[in-house]
Amino acid sequence: MASPDIAPPGSRSIGLAMLLAMLALWQIATRFDHPDFILSPAEIARHVVEALRSGELLPHVGASLARSLPGFVIGSLIGVGLGLLAGVVRSLDQLLSPVVFLTYPVPKIVFLPIVMLWVGIGDVSKIAVIALACFYPCFINAYYGARGTSTIMVWSGLNMGARRSQTFRKVVVPSALPLVFAGLRVSLALSFVLLFSTEMINARSGLGFLIRQSESSLRFDLMYVAIVAVAALGYASDQMLLLVRRRVLAWQDATSR
Amino acid sequence: MSVLWSDPASVVRRVALLAVGLVAWETAARSGWFSPLIVPSIARIGSQLGLLATRPESLVEAWYSLARALGGFALAAVVGVALGVLMGRSALVAAALGPLFSWTYPIPKIALFPIFIYLFGIGSLSKVLLIFLECLYPIVITTQAGGRAVNRVLVWSAANMGASRARILGSVVVPATAPFIFAGFRIALPIAMIVVIITEMISSADGLGYMVMYSLASFKTDRMLAVVVVIALIGVALDRLVVRLRDRLVRWDRLDSYYAE
Repeated sequence: MASPDIAPPGSRSIGLAMLLAMLALWQIATRFDHPDFILSPAEIARHVVEALRSGELLPHVGASLARSLPGFVIGSLIGVGLGLLAGVVRSLDQLLSPVVFLTYPVPKIVFLPIVMLWVGIGDVSKIAVIALACFYPCFINAYYGARGTSTIMVWSGLNMGARRSQTFRKVVVPSALPLVFAGLRVSLALSFVLLFSTEMINARSGLGFLIRQSESSLRFDLMYVAIVAVAALGYASDQMLLLVRRRVLAWQDATSR
Repeated sequence: MSVLWSDPASVVRRVALLAVGLVAWETAARSGWFSPLIVPSIARIGSQLGLLATRPESLVEAWYSLARALGGFALAAVVGVALGVLMGRSALVAAALGPLFSWTYPIPKIALFPIFIYLFGIGSLSKVLLIFLECLYPIVITTQAGGRAVNRVLVWSAANMGASRARILGSVVVPATAPFIFAGFRIALPIAMIVVIITEMISSADGLGYMVMYSLASFKTDRMLAVVVVIALIGVALDRLVVRLRDRLVRWDRLDSYYAE
């Protein structure tokens, strides 16, 4: 997917001003008559600090991460590995690609009930569904990345006496890396979406559960706290991935990023 | 993608693979090792599928899901293309909206669903608006990338021939951006399906997502799997539809992959 670095250079301050203006508007709007479930930004910030102090929030963050991280790691490792291999090994390509591309548009969340039937409603079913969802973008991007390797580079490598495995490691993998990272980024975002859905559907811990529970017990303060935590987790993990990408892909010029 | 479909040998291979999968499933179902509750036989899933396809009330459920998904998607398509083109062509709009979009992009919008329920009710509106929000991002991002990449000679020529700014946007920029717009659509449409099923699974009294949860809760796993098959078929069919539409409208650009960077 096209990278969402869509902010033109130098627009950060304008964006920040827009953001602050929106928050200010929100804050002012809450001074007028409004329903209970709308809190002002200042109130939300206060509740976040309170929840962090009281220890109400952190166990749920931990429970969520213990589901989403293994799911993301397993799904994306298998996805990238098989995708790269399918990009270079024709028989594997013919075996896997039709299945993957055909099932790609199927919403993976529908497999949650099936997996729940097979392995129970615990964490394993959630991790499995998250891994399944993360597999697809990684496979597809790694596949196109490996297939997009310039043939001249592969020929040069072989010509200079590199073995097939060496060509794979030193030529195909590096040239597929930009797309692999694009896939990882999509998968990371997906892993959080799936995490929340699975936790909202059934769980006894985690941020999705916290949102659900505080919503039904009308504790709107806690609901907003959980939503803020979700947003912060999503944003922080994305930034971490971008940081890794900048280090690994330092050789790629900034414009094509 | 078209490569995967045109070659007859690959079609044969695909059918063979499907047959192997079905036979393996049926063997597992008949072996007696698993409870029929966990692995129901294909005959039972098939008969449930037949029931789903013939009974008007289950068709209505499918229609609910489809209408929600397509409604949210259509809204996102209109707003997203308009915003994306403007952001791609105007530095001012890009500076104003770009940071907001790129900052909020990694935040899972699904977490806002409870607030949406309070704001817009538990019916279709909260689901449609959440689908709109989730679909908006990929469409805006790809459209903006396309809007920026429009060949400037085309724009200059149109301007030189006396076209107004609005005319240039409508007759030059939008068609030139079309391949990117469709790339965005193709990412967004599966997202619309995902979100509609998720929201219906979480809170709803109708739609296919609700049917999945309801069948599971009443231990009708054959019916549940039949609904899953229906959802899968709808997902694939919608994707094919976008590809068809793209090939008709964007005849001049037949890219194999939609991962246009």
